[in-house]
Amino acid sequence: MLEIIQEYWLLLLIGEYPHGKLGGLAMTLIISFVSLIVTFPCAVLIALARTGKPGIVQSIANGFVHSVRAIPLLMLIFWAYFAVPMIIGFPIDAAFTLIVAIVIYQTAYLGEIIAAGITGLPKGQREAAAALGLGYIPTMFRIILPQAIFNVIPGIVNQLTTIIKESSLGSIIAVSELSYVMLQVNSNEVTKPLQIFGILAAVYFVLCFALSQATNWLERRISSRRTGQVVVEAVA
Amino acid sequence: MIEFQNVSKWFGALQVLRDVNATVAKGTTTVLCGPSGSGKSTLIRTVNRLEPIQKGQITLSGRDIYAKDIDVNVLRSGIGFVFQQFNLFPHLSVVENVMLPLLRIRKQSRAQARPAAMQMLERVGLAEKANSLPADISGGQSQRVAIARSLILKPEVLVLDEPTSALDPEMVGEVLKLLRELSADGITMMCVTHEMGFAREVADRIWFLRNGTLTFDAEPTEFFSDDAHQDVRNFLSVVRKNH
Repeated sequence: MLEIIQEYWLLLLIGEYPHGKLGGLAMTLIISFVSLIVTFPCAVLIALARTGKPGIVQSIANGFVHSVRAIPLLMLIFWAYFAVPMIIGFPIDAAFTLIVAIVIYQTAYLGEIIAAGITGLPKGQREAAAALGLGYIPTMFRIILPQAIFNVIPGIVNQLTTIIKESSLGSIIAVSELSYVMLQVNSNEVTKPLQIFGILAAVYFVLCFALSQATNWLERRISSRRTGQVVVEAVA
Repeated sequence: MIEFQNVSKWFGALQVLRDVNATVAKGTTTVLCGPSGSGKSTLIRTVNRLEPIQKGQITLSGRDIYAKDIDVNVLRSGIGFVFQQFNLFPHLSVVENVMLPLLRIRKQSRAQARPAAMQMLERVGLAEKANSLPADISGGQSQRVAIARSLILKPEVLVLDEPTSALDPEMVGEVLKLLRELSADGITMMCVTHEMGFAREVADRIWFLRNGTLTFDAEPTEFFSDDAHQDVRNFLSVVRKNH
């Protein structure tokens, strides 16, 4: 296993860059963070529509969420990769396709998390804002969303770990992210699949475990801030 | 100042206000009391349209609050409203809670809004808690901050929905003291409360509601006399027993 790491560590980290395309772990992280950053405002809009007044906008948002949640991400990726270029008449970069598919997919899920944060707030918060004379936009963006998003930060970070794992589906459409690079390594080292995919699993585990630990830390910080108490960290 | 004319309201099939007719004069304090579910809170929530009415008319300084040219947000910014559960914004500090209406409604800069908010906090005796979060202050202090926030836009009317009901007994006094001061300053005030001592001392008029009907509207001397409506005397005897 060590010799595989020694031989392929640079490929694993940055792909063929600078002699070729950026890939590997760097690509996985870029896809994940870009996806999350683009997903976030889309998810906020979906959450606002889902928790707003019943009407056409809410119906569209409901339709979008229910439809996306009923199909696998892989199918969405295939659609974006094969069908969209046929419709628009020119090819799209595979990494871009993957990001678009993840954004559409995660908007539905992250939107539901943020919507849950909004509906979980006491009714009095919205009433107090209304009683002060605040309109819908300042009420949502100054009062409701800061609290709702703050309360669901652990859920948002959790979605980031999901996005990291989902980015591995990019290997199906030849996006040179971490899994794709390791598939190439496996093609070179035909007899060592156990070690190669062991390394791949370990890298994903370290990434996602570190994020889940960060989530736990955030949860403690949030609860201590909201209750007005200082968390006393155990000194080992 | 505020006039209720045949005001009726239903929650589905349940009628919660029945042809309420009453007037709140400018600069006076009106206390609303009555048993639970009598419609007191619903009635005061109609003043700033937090609860819509289905029949009748409410006028504020002679203007129908449901008139087509009335902007509901402008209407509400002219009526201070204090809730039983304070409803401070927990992600904002005490001073930011009080500054918010100035920043978002009056469109003032932070440099303009902060001194005004600090002045209001001094008035309610909480200037030293300006940078605390709502989670770090007591219930009584929270309610005083809520009152400061409701007064920051210099409203024509202050409406309070059971401002002491969610407080520990030892914290009720500090809020009532502030309300006495505000009443003495001449602000027009409508207050739902079960604090009958406060009502006797501060109110200019006391309204008694039962099953959505305003059954008695009198000055405190008459309200607490033997001439009061039978419903009022029954209510007061129950209140006295419980205290």
